[in-house]
Amino acid sequence: MAQNSKPTGVLDSLGEEIIRIIVPVSVCMFMVVVLVSVLNSSSLSSSSDSVTSIATIAYAETSTDSSWDKFVGALLNSLVFVAVVTVVTFILVLLFYLRCTKFLKLYMGFSAFVVLGFMGGEIALFLIEDFSIPVDCVTFVVILFNFAVVGVLAVFMSKMAILVTQGYLVLIGMLVAYWFTQLPEWTTWVLLVAMALYDLAAVLLPVGPLRLLVELAISRDEDIPALVYEARPVTYNDLDSMGGVAQRRVWRERRGENSDNSSNYNPNANSVFAETVDSGSNSTLNANAVPASNSDSNTLVSERNDATLIRVEEGRVPERDAEPSTDSTPLLDHRMNFQQQQQQLEDAVSSENLMLEGIGLASSGAIKLGLGDFIFYSVLVGRAAMYDFMTVYACYLAIIAGLGITLVLLALYQKALPALPVSIALGVLFYLLTRLLLEVFVVQCSLNLLMF
Amino acid sequence: MTVAAGIGYALLALGPSLSLFVSVISKKPFLILTVLSSTLLWLTSLIVLSALWRGFLPLKSTSWWPYGLLIFTSVAFQEGLRVFVWKGYMRLEDILNTFADKVSKPRLYLTDKMQIALAGGLGHGVAHAVFFCLSLLTPAFGPATFFVDRCSQIPFFLVSAIIALAFVTIHTFSMVIAFSGYAEGNKVDQFFVPVVHLVAGMVTLINFASGGCVIGIPLLYFIAILTLIHCGRMVWRRLIGNGRTQGNL
Repeated sequence: MAQNSKPTGVLDSLGEEIIRIIVPVSVCMFMVVVLVSVLNSSSLSSSSDSVTSIATIAYAETSTDSSWDKFVGALLNSLVFVAVVTVVTFILVLLFYLRCTKFLKLYMGFSAFVVLGFMGGEIALFLIEDFSIPVDCVTFVVILFNFAVVGVLAVFMSKMAILVTQGYLVLIGMLVAYWFTQLPEWTTWVLLVAMALYDLAAVLLPVGPLRLLVELAISRDEDIPALVYEARPVTYNDLDSMGGVAQRRVWRERRGENSDNSSNYNPNANSVFAETVDSGSNSTLNANAVPASNSDSNTLVSERNDATLIRVEEGRVPERDAEPSTDSTPLLDHRMNFQQQQQQLEDAVSSENLMLEGIGLASSGAIKLGLGDFIFYSVLVGRAAMYDFMTVYACYLAIIAGLGITLVLLALYQKALPALPVSIALGVLFYLLTRLLLEVFVVQCSLNLLMF
Repeated sequence: MTVAAGIGYALLALGPSLSLFVSVISKKPFLILTVLSSTLLWLTSLIVLSALWRGFLPLKSTSWWPYGLLIFTSVAFQEGLRVFVWKGYMRLEDILNTFADKVSKPRLYLTDKMQIALAGGLGHGVAHAVFFCLSLLTPAFGPATFFVDRCSQIPFFLVSAIIALAFVTIHTFSMVIAFSGYAEGNKVDQFFVPVVHLVAGMVTLINFASGGCVIGIPLLYFIAILTLIHCGRMVWRRLIGNGRTQGNL
């Protein structure tokens, strides 16, 4: 009937890319909240208090200190952590400048293995203990080893099914975030704020290490080694698609990104772990069981370093080296992907910038988000879960709103932007407001069965 | 309460919205974004209200008029906010239509506009259910349950889930009615929504009396069903009228 000839409206597919990045972020946050509530509600308290890492070197919080002491201690911890991260990022920039890509990749693979194998193993042990799952050591080790190895392969060999790769990335983010929620409370909050500020500085200041990294990568047309989550690109199959090519270009397109990039993902490593060599106290690269604390801080540092930028590519030609995965950037960036038909590598980038009238949604293109963003968002929500679930819901909405705002800003400014500050700021704000104001109000009304 | 009971209460409050979400909203990503933003907006309005009233809480639980005042101010604030939401929606509609023209697609259909309104209302309803009902459920898992003095026949969580369901319905469909009323300039619809919201809020005051929930909750459901029927009739009228002018839908 007439129904069949009605053309699809504009509402059918608008905003799909944003949803494809919001869903994995939400899944990661949800899993961290579940882990936190399941593992913390059980009486398994002893090990969690003794997490020592770079983030608690300066001060170990005990519950008997006064608020001011805790705050000052947390501040010291965060300063130390941010300093370490800065040093490490500069080392990464240096290594990238000296073209030690193999080393970076190897190191990245190693860190992924450590996260999946050791941290995942410890959490699995907690769960087994809690739920009394009958499994013997040999089976457990075999399964864990396989799990970790497949994870490393998925994250590096880009020919895996994209769902497997995405799943493992979310899992890595979740594991690291869970370990971060084990830090003392004040330290966690001040650390989040400090990292957001660091991110802001590192990306926007001219001397910021992340900005240097990005510029280096652009000038060389190479990819920055890091762990990046990439959403699938959206392809539009419309009747007038061929005719409407020119009109649908709303972002600057990337040269040379072709369709198989959608299944690629290049987690070139981050050699940040070189840092462990200098900080003598943390000698991580031991083959024996690394204390979770050390590995946690190290891995975290490795991943979050290049993982928190957002930027729009400006038509770089990616380096086609032996690896099939030449995707770039740890950053959030947009690519055009027109129905498998891509511009040639040397196409002149159309510098026209048809911005989408202020909505900020690309008509088609994949969005990439660094894993550090996943981790810190989940840490915030996990910490909120340790207080109450009302704060969880409020912080979740705030973080998603922050992510949306960042994407809009990305559309407006068309340059490298940090993904953390807006979301963390909104998240912390909403957490405080909910905890101090909303909870009393809502509980008062609800208990008297008064609702509106 | 046990986990099974907890899930049951959560589904009681949010089941219809979940099915609405899965069947209508999840098909169009833009509607998911609308639901998320309107949930955030409702949360923000709730935070502002709690900031305003924080100095006066906890209220004495004997007299009902402070609560009445609280509900009145809250509803008034939220209805005022709805007018702003409408203005924001007008701008959004313009942006979407311009974008549609640019990519040579048809402009927003009537059903599209109603779906956006529905998504907005669903966001409000879900926010209500989550913050008034679910957030009290989740910390309370365990072997026992909790009863309130004023309504001691059924557990507190069940009562709050039932009330939340009624309010979810009211919120979801009043947004559709309100947007349609503002679009058509229909005064009846424009006033219907704030009045219904206020009456529903005031009806919950009846729960304040001991044993009052036996009367209060059926009244609330009566209001919810009234909203539902009014919305259904209005939508039917508009769609049929639209179909006649366009020849087909």
